[in-house]
Amino acid sequence: MRIRGSKKVHYDAGPNMTPLVDVVMVILIFLMLAGSFGGVERYLTSNVPIKQSGVGQAAVDNTVPDTPLEIRVDRNRADPSKFDVRAGRIAMTIDASTQESWLQQMDQLTEALKQMHQELNAAGTSDDKIQVEIHPQKDVPYAHAIHVFEAVTDAQFKKISFAQSHE
Amino acid sequence: MRKHSMPESNVTHPNVTPLIDVVMCLIIFFMLVAKIGVTSGAEEMTLPKAILGQDIKDLGNTLTLNVRNINQPLPMVTALLPGHHDTTELKFEENRGGKIERPLLDLLKAARANNPEFKVIIRGEQDMPYRLLEPVLFVSAQANVKNVNFATETVQAKK
Repeated sequence: MRIRGSKKVHYDAGPNMTPLVDVVMVILIFLMLAGSFGGVERYLTSNVPIKQSGVGQAAVDNTVPDTPLEIRVDRNRADPSKFDVRAGRIAMTIDASTQESWLQQMDQLTEALKQMHQELNAAGTSDDKIQVEIHPQKDVPYAHAIHVFEAVTDAQFKKISFAQSHE
Repeated sequence: MRKHSMPESNVTHPNVTPLIDVVMCLIIFFMLVAKIGVTSGAEEMTLPKAILGQDIKDLGNTLTLNVRNINQPLPMVTALLPGHHDTTELKFEENRGGKIERPLLDLLKAARANNPEFKVIIRGEQDMPYRLLEPVLFVSAQANVKNVNFATETVQAKK
């Protein structure tokens, strides 16, 4: 007896992929929606968090004290979106209202600080003996203090600390 | 002349094999890159902008402190403590039954004592006055935490 259909070619021989595709798509969409990826957050590092000024210390050895470089950061009285930076002969007003002006003026501040750094090195003061102290005014926005900190870091100073705020 | 005609196709559904290949690659990518259910305790806030910010590779030795202005003499500091699912407020000083305690200082001291590589990440709102950051820096210095990192939002410098 001939079995009917035994010669019928079975074309759909592979496994059914439809459920797999369904599940895989669901996993993909879940991961795309739920995942938080490496954002734009980065960190500025400081090894000396804060330096208390005005506190006397007993001289315990004969080491030469560090050369302090004081940088004052004050809120501009005329325009609160600006801030004044003074360090030695450097006196700049930085306009932080737009990113373009801020970036441009921070470049100028960095260049001035780099030059000061080179002059200190040329005068024989090594990097480990230069202590930069950033003195922000009490009400200066945190962002402005961070901008100055970044400029000092960019000028390749090694010892940078924040100091107590002033009025 | 014999005509060449298109062979009759027996497959009636589209070939999904390349689709599965691509989707599997995407899934593996997302599984490797995505951080699901991992939190450092960072709260949503507007961070100061910076160009030179760096990545911290070793986040295992860090404690993230969120510092906010609540219009009080001291800021509100929150952090994700071990064993907690949500951030907890850490006060500078609090009176517990007549005894003055310093939860933030005690936490930092304990963390620093057990781990010389301990780091603090400070996340502060960009408009917060500097005087509110000061007490956090003082407490870090008191706890002998040398490595303090300021979280910033990266901006690209113009070429």
